[in-house]
Amino acid sequence: MRGFLRIGGMMVLITCLCGALMLTACQPAKAPDKNGNPDTGDASAPPITGKIKAGFIYVGPVGDFGWSHAHEQSRQHVMKLFPWMESTYVESVAEADAPRVIDRLVQEEHCDIVFTTSFGYMDSTIEAGKEYPNTLFMHCSGYKQAPNVGTYFAELYQMYYLNGLMAGALTKSKKVGYVGAHPIPEVVRHINAFGLGLREVNPDARVTVKWLFAWYDPAKARDATEALIAEGCDVIAFTQDSPAICEVCQEYAARGKQVLTFGHYSPMQRFGQDAVVSGQLVDWNGLYEEILMRVHTKTWTNRDYWWLAKERATLLGGEPDVPINPKFVEPLKAVTVKDPILGPISVHDLALKRLDQMREPTVLFDPFTGPIKDQSGTLRLKPAERASMSMLLSMDWFLDNIDGTIPKN
Amino acid sequence: MSRFRISITRRSEPGRWFAAGTVCAAIGFGFVLAGCLFALGGVNPLTAIARIIMGSFGSLYGLKETLTKSIPLILCSSGLILAFRARFWNIGAEGQLLAGAVGATFIALRSDGIPGSLVIPAMFVAGAVCGAFWAWIPGILRFRLGVNEVISTLMLNYIIAEFVQYLVYGPWKGSQQFGFPYTDNFHADAVLTTFPGSRIHLVTLGIALICAALVWMVMHHTTFGFSVRAAGESSGAARYAGIHAGRVTVAAVAIGGAMAGLAGVGEVAGIHHHLSYPWSISSGYGYTAIIAAWLARLNPLTAILSSIFLSGILVGGDTIQTAMNLPAATVNVFNGAILFSLIGSEFFMSYRIRIQPKVVP
Repeated sequence: MRGFLRIGGMMVLITCLCGALMLTACQPAKAPDKNGNPDTGDASAPPITGKIKAGFIYVGPVGDFGWSHAHEQSRQHVMKLFPWMESTYVESVAEADAPRVIDRLVQEEHCDIVFTTSFGYMDSTIEAGKEYPNTLFMHCSGYKQAPNVGTYFAELYQMYYLNGLMAGALTKSKKVGYVGAHPIPEVVRHINAFGLGLREVNPDARVTVKWLFAWYDPAKARDATEALIAEGCDVIAFTQDSPAICEVCQEYAARGKQVLTFGHYSPMQRFGQDAVVSGQLVDWNGLYEEILMRVHTKTWTNRDYWWLAKERATLLGGEPDVPINPKFVEPLKAVTVKDPILGPISVHDLALKRLDQMREPTVLFDPFTGPIKDQSGTLRLKPAERASMSMLLSMDWFLDNIDGTIPKN
Repeated sequence: MSRFRISITRRSEPGRWFAAGTVCAAIGFGFVLAGCLFALGGVNPLTAIARIIMGSFGSLYGLKETLTKSIPLILCSSGLILAFRARFWNIGAEGQLLAGAVGATFIALRSDGIPGSLVIPAMFVAGAVCGAFWAWIPGILRFRLGVNEVISTLMLNYIIAEFVQYLVYGPWKGSQQFGFPYTDNFHADAVLTTFPGSRIHLVTLGIALICAALVWMVMHHTTFGFSVRAAGESSGAARYAGIHAGRVTVAAVAIGGAMAGLAGVGEVAGIHHHLSYPWSISSGYGYTAIIAAWLARLNPLTAILSSIFLSGILVGGDTIQTAMNLPAATVNVFNGAILFSLIGSEFFMSYRIRIQPKVVP
């Protein structure tokens, strides 16, 4: 007798076992849902309890820093704050997959409100709004609303302007670099605001722009930074999600060459203690609290929330509660400019004064106030005229102290 | 001092039922493997796997999404089978799909002069031509200059992806898209109708099924199919039989590229309605199709099933996040576990393993 065992046969057996187990497991999946409501199969039925369930769709991984991370932090914040809230999230959702994920959140997870947190989800969100009139949607960073679709955004350009003031005081070569993620209106707005700040303190300084065509690509960001430094830039600002540029500047500091930068979006001073002067930080907590509270109290409307410094949605600094890196406070106090209204004032004080003005309920100051000319010399804003919302949202021109191109069609 | 001997012997071509059994066993094993990972994440593995299957095949909604995602996979994998049968290792279905999307967009953006009913057919033709052209390049490079097609097809994927980026940021950037890198949305004539209440673009689904059937027909019942197989199995023998191996292979590869191009047309005209970032248009269909083709053991009809299965795994993966709050990476781990065991099962199909008592001399 030569007993032998066929591995193939054994695998067939394993499968049968799995199949049997799975069939039994399918039963509880169909059983009553979390709220104890029997599954009636009616997808759009509103929940019976007073709980509110929110679904969040993120474009990137929730990770350690950057855009999706910031939203996820605030989701966790409101979950702790509101005992009546339930939530679920889906990360790394490609634009093309958004309709499917929205369907799932509404039909299977029975969400009362769905937050879609990337510009590319805009049309999918509007479509979903038509398909599910009993569900609320909030789309982040878009410009289309519908009866049950609102929009919200935390805008950073004011902080970029403040960073620009500091860059103007600290640059010695009068050449400042800017690494931009994508040539889209939001980033163009950031670059122009930065340029406005720079010009106010240092009218001769110029900004050189390099595009990455990626939100997150540390290797490309590093290359772009090295190239800008080789061209003579001694301050680098950026709009992209990795802290790579802070690390490059810190490496230069360690070698005794000063190249300064500003953190973007997340706390990034920790990646460059000797090189990160300040930065822009976002805080979505207030916006999510406001929106969810309105859903809870049944006062939600399809508003367009556009929150800035005034609402404390955007903050100055490379770390929370550190508007200016202490290492650079003295150098910034040492540079004085003459302001038509404020008189002689150090750049340090000017930046903090401007921040206060922008935080006033009536917004006493806005960077995008004319006269503003673009690269070709065209007057875009007349003296004392402030930029309209539509100009800010579709900005496709550079200020006259900026060297770089926006790809045109 | 083991008392057993393991002997591995080559198996003749596995029977149909044995092959099917092994594939099922491998999938089962993959579920067990993935289940262990779920258990490590603190989730009941049976509930998790049940939810994934419910999310892709077990509900009408999931089924619709699974079918939608399988359309490009069926087209790409049938096309790849043509090339693989000729032993031409085409890794470029991803790029050929994008080339098709570019061709279709070109027609859609300039559809003013074309009668409404002809726009869609013109888009499909343009997409097929572009896909075929993008596959023809590495074909001709291999047979004229001896360039390794694995490298050239892969590199051409990057070239076309950068080209798509150039188009959507530059000359084709839409005037109504607020400066964002999308072309303008297609005119209604250039948009495919979908099955009501779903995103299944029926025309492309029909084309996909017909293509798969045609590839099977051609492979098994025509002289061309015989030539392709002969060129793949032994180019020397093919030459003796009067078959021009190079010409036949390039033709097969180009036809395969045309099918990937059709998939690209379906994606832009059926799903997106504009051209945008390359990774948004395709999400890796060209690469997943390679797995679908091999999983089907290079049979285009079986490739329909393997494509549906793979898209089901992709679609069901959402529930790992929504229902169980596990990170997105878990989806990739799950898919990886299934594919790993499927590829591992190839070994058991080609070799017979016997464990027998050691014969004492």
